[in-house]
Amino acid sequence: MDWSTVMAQTPMAREQLFALREEIARLEGKPVPALAAARQEALAERGGAGKQKHRLPLGVTVVDEALDGGLPLDGLSEIRAQCLRDATASAGFALALSALIQKQAADDPAPILWITDRVTSMETGVPYALGLKDFGLDPKRFLHAAPRKLDEALWLAETAMESGAFAVTLLEVKGNPAHFGLTESRRLSLRAKAAGRPLFLMRQSGEEEASSAVLRFLVEPAPAAIRLLPDRSMLGGSIGNPVFRLTLEKSRNSAPLSLLLEWNPHDRQFFPTREPERAWSPLKRAAHSGPRLPASANRPDRSQEMGSVLAFDQAS
Amino acid sequence: MRLTALDEAAEAIGLKKNQGVAEARAICPMLDVIEEDLGADRRLLDGIADWCDRYTPLVALDGRDGLFLDITGCAHLFGGEKELLKDILSRLFQMGIDARGAISPAPGLSWATSRFGSGGVIADEEVEHVLSPLPVAALRLQEETVAALQKLGLKQVGDLLLAPRAPLARRFGAHLLLRLDQALGRNEEPVSPRRAVASLSAERRLTDPIQSEEDILYLTGQIALSLKASLEERGAGGRAFELVLFRVDGRVFRIAAGASQPLRDPKRIAALFSERLQAVHDDLDAGYGFEILRLNVMRYEAFDAAQEDFDGDRQKDVCLASFVDRVSARLGADCLQSFQLHESHVPERAVTAAPAIRTLSSGKKPEASGFSWSRSERPLRLFIRPESVEVSLAEVPEGPPESFRWRRMLHRISRSQGPERLGMEWWIDGADARARDYFRVEDDTGHRFWIFREGLYGQMPPPRWFMHGVFA
Repeated sequence: MDWSTVMAQTPMAREQLFALREEIARLEGKPVPALAAARQEALAERGGAGKQKHRLPLGVTVVDEALDGGLPLDGLSEIRAQCLRDATASAGFALALSALIQKQAADDPAPILWITDRVTSMETGVPYALGLKDFGLDPKRFLHAAPRKLDEALWLAETAMESGAFAVTLLEVKGNPAHFGLTESRRLSLRAKAAGRPLFLMRQSGEEEASSAVLRFLVEPAPAAIRLLPDRSMLGGSIGNPVFRLTLEKSRNSAPLSLLLEWNPHDRQFFPTREPERAWSPLKRAAHSGPRLPASANRPDRSQEMGSVLAFDQAS
Repeated sequence: MRLTALDEAAEAIGLKKNQGVAEARAICPMLDVIEEDLGADRRLLDGIADWCDRYTPLVALDGRDGLFLDITGCAHLFGGEKELLKDILSRLFQMGIDARGAISPAPGLSWATSRFGSGGVIADEEVEHVLSPLPVAALRLQEETVAALQKLGLKQVGDLLLAPRAPLARRFGAHLLLRLDQALGRNEEPVSPRRAVASLSAERRLTDPIQSEEDILYLTGQIALSLKASLEERGAGGRAFELVLFRVDGRVFRIAAGASQPLRDPKRIAALFSERLQAVHDDLDAGYGFEILRLNVMRYEAFDAAQEDFDGDRQKDVCLASFVDRVSARLGADCLQSFQLHESHVPERAVTAAPAIRTLSSGKKPEASGFSWSRSERPLRLFIRPESVEVSLAEVPEGPPESFRWRRMLHRISRSQGPERLGMEWWIDGADARARDYFRVEDDTGHRFWIFREGLYGQMPPPRWFMHGVFA
């Protein structure tokens, strides 16, 4: 073998390799290698103002810091629910984000598109316009697509991104289907980036999976907020604003984050809440204020210490 | 069993319609008898009628074995009536169909001459001359009437023409004279076409058939371009389109596509069919290719022309409309839905889903009165049919349950809100429909549900519990 030709080729090949790496990094939105850092900086200076616009701050400092200033508005974000029972919680969080986006762009009449999954719709119900209204969304600016198959859903999401007519596109997928792998999520992610519009992928009852989503949240339901009376006491017999237990599973700076977020549909705003203390519940108020034993995860029915008297024990 | 139809060879032997099969077999033992299949005959006739659409959009079926073509204003496209008839008959002959035809001022006369006469083109002034020597059966009369006329010696139509009308009417009814007048063209006889006639239509005839989808779409765009001027003239845009593809071997494909807004732009019309062709891809067999492409505008509506470039909103509307069109063309109109609010307090009736393609353009009309009544929060997702829930313990008489079992899972309720009583609508559900008491409940894992009790405790039949929706 002639070594001189190899030596001559190597710098060329290396340069090409760097270029490709840079390209990959740019596509994935990762920090670029040192070689291209300078160019990137120059770019950032030019597009700095625009870049800030493409993030949606959630209004909760902890989350916004973890997300580098907010949710990216030009890409694919994944919102996952562990099991189908939690599907409404993840859908609720995605819809809350959509409402937040619509609130920020109040003069933009672009509607929201929710592409539902057939099985999930059968298991957890179809979108209900009055409920959406109560959740802070405008039913008139909302379209619901019910494709029969996954490839139709993917085509719909891609077409919706391409058209750029929607403020937010929500794509619901059940589980981890084989037809929706890395390639497909890359396609969607690129489309979203090109359109400059957000695409939320709701993975209902799915496992963590490598995808080209910039972010992945795990959403679980949490006891709702309490309604306070003007004198700071609790309004009994009521269920307040929905609360989500949010875990940031994947993000660019991989700091683990888990917190409770309350969604206020009226003001269309998120609030952080503390872990609920269950002592206020009239049904479950303990007789003494001692520490409660933690409940086992898979417990059978446990008898209630106190509660509304439904029937007295038999006298005999 | 009797013979209902014969081929030429059988006719040559001397067999006749209505002859018994046994008798026919006695005449010719080698006879090949096939059972009559009316459905297949009908399909063949429909196929031929579809094929005849190339000559005129007004094609009507006539009985079991005839077609009426209204060629008013069409003949000149084919080089005159004689050429037209020759073209039809020779093409049908090449397809293996023995057809006879006539062109005349009246459908009745064409019927008579093509079945009992020599066919051909009959001018206005030679109507009586042609009709006179034909047998009376050529007037489309009932068999009894024909037999009665023949008994009287009125064997030819000419005999009837000479006879006084009043006695004829008295003896055989007005129907005979009506048929006579229809054959003479004195009485207008409408031909009812099989298909709705397109409002506008343009076509391209090709000497070299095309097969590929790109070619079809390109030509569709070209045809749409030629339609644009007529649409502009009317100040309209098309809402429903139909692309008719005539295959070389006589099969005809019709592909319909709808638009959410009146359309005029050839590119967008072609785009509609691009999605539609994707959807019907398997059914569309190009075979040896298509020789005629026709684009019909089935329905058009007023087109509000707007300045497109200076108005950003308008551009966005166009994006949305073309998205809705593409999706509806490819996945069906029902796939994409928008919500319609109604004034009803029954949850499943308060909102209905309507295809977005239909609601998008009607969005400009003022909304129904902004009714509002105090109600509790509604769930994000609603079950189309409420699902039965097992409740073992509930506060009586009208409290929430302590726990409930749904889909084999036990949910312990930690908090509840309600009841919200919703009476059913007696004018729909009847007077004895039971009211529902709705509760928002939260179980100890933080799931929130909307459940209701139908009926009251202490009443018969006992109340039942249902799950109706899920909150976020």
